[in-house]
Amino acid sequence: MTDTPYLLRFFQVVPPVPPLIVATFVAVTGVASLAVATSPGRARGALAPVLLLQLFTASSGFAVPARRGHYDLLLTRGTSRLRVTLAHWVTTIAPGIFSWLVLAVVERLAAGDGAVLLASGTLAAIFMVSTLPWALTIALPRFSGGIGWLLLLVTMGTTFAEGVFAEWTVTSTRVEALVWPAWVFLIYPLGAVGESLGPPQLLAVAPGITLAAAAMAIACHWAAHSDIPLSAAQ
Amino acid sequence: MDLAVSVRNLSVQYGRRLVFQGVSFDLAAGQAAGVIGPNGSGKTTLLRTIAGCLTPRSGEVRINGLTPRDALARTGVAYFAGDATLPGAVRAARWGSLGNGDTVTQDRRPLRALSRGTRQLLGLRTALGRQPLGLVVLDEPWEGLDPDAGRWLSTIIETKRDRGAAVVLSSHRLHDLAGLCDVYLFLLPHQATVLRAHEIAPTEPVTAEHLVDVFDRLRGGTLPLRAWETEGREELRRGR
Repeated sequence: MTDTPYLLRFFQVVPPVPPLIVATFVAVTGVASLAVATSPGRARGALAPVLLLQLFTASSGFAVPARRGHYDLLLTRGTSRLRVTLAHWVTTIAPGIFSWLVLAVVERLAAGDGAVLLASGTLAAIFMVSTLPWALTIALPRFSGGIGWLLLLVTMGTTFAEGVFAEWTVTSTRVEALVWPAWVFLIYPLGAVGESLGPPQLLAVAPGITLAAAAMAIACHWAAHSDIPLSAAQ
Repeated sequence: MDLAVSVRNLSVQYGRRLVFQGVSFDLAAGQAAGVIGPNGSGKTTLLRTIAGCLTPRSGEVRINGLTPRDALARTGVAYFAGDATLPGAVRAARWGSLGNGDTVTQDRRPLRALSRGTRQLLGLRTALGRQPLGLVVLDEPWEGLDPDAGRWLSTIIETKRDRGAAVVLSSHRLHDLAGLCDVYLFLLPHQATVLRAHEIAPTEPVTAEHLVDVFDRLRGGTLPLRAWETEGREELRRGR
């Protein structure tokens, strides 16, 4: 644990997120905060661009910069590879989490009780866009996970009926009645923003959450144990 | 003799391609090893394996009796694989602060804006800034350096070695390696030969010419030299 300050300092100096994306987060958060402050009912829509940006930001890719040797100084310092990997994830998602927290505070101040940005559905959506893209992109170039997800989203939106992403209302706990909402949540977690998840909805989001957690565990294990050759030396 | 680095029958491969096999050598604390070989012979791969970034297909590497991954936490290791491994967008001064926290340079330009030699020097100074160092692993460290920086590097390597660090270097610049190392590892395709300095030159310090002659003998001496190798060899013969 003594290396934690160095870990965080390293990823502050060698950020997994490009400065341009951080600047975009600042701009989006500023505009969204203004919208929420003047009209708290817009909170759900105001968070959408933050989540979309987080989807791409989280697709930061660990292995590619590591194989370019960018992390050599850190990897040969003796810090556990798992902690390095987790520090990479934390610093990757930090701008998005910060933006969401700022919006949540603004909404709470503007609307008082009944804030949608701290609702359980919002938490589930934040978790999904902060974990799954990172895990999927661990061995791939930056933005791969985000691009893949967006492709799936567009494909689904154009293949199925219009308004398909609104159809995740869960009315039954029967398995067959949960499959479609669970699939929609997995593909389009933004639809859960502002929802207060009752038992049926929790059953619907559980597969997505479990899948994201499992993907994180697999990605961390892979990064902690895989070889890191230099790209140029292969 | 306490072994700082022990390499036993090491083989590494990328996918199906065997990079090298059967590499063995020992290095005590306060000794230096020089790795010599043509491009693609596996020098970088060997150094990266010693630094714990790669797992051997067979054989083993031990640093103070531990696997490289375990040893990294207990032995101060300085590893640098060249200026190309530095992230170009990072500002020079900030990168320099990652060594031991001291200011290495005041230059605030992004690393990609620096000359190759300046980047190389900054990378070396940052990596070598860790204290204390038990193992120094440098891949082509003299590449791109001007004569002053090259002399500084040779001096600092000698200093680290004399203070007890084991040093593993690879370089094509044989005149820089010559005399600095106690062990020379010649990596050729499907052949690895380890020679102690006294086996190369029993009565005098090892020179670049000695190393060129050994290298030629090991690869049969009958293979045609490519143009740049011929020129390099002529330079050496002229006493560069």
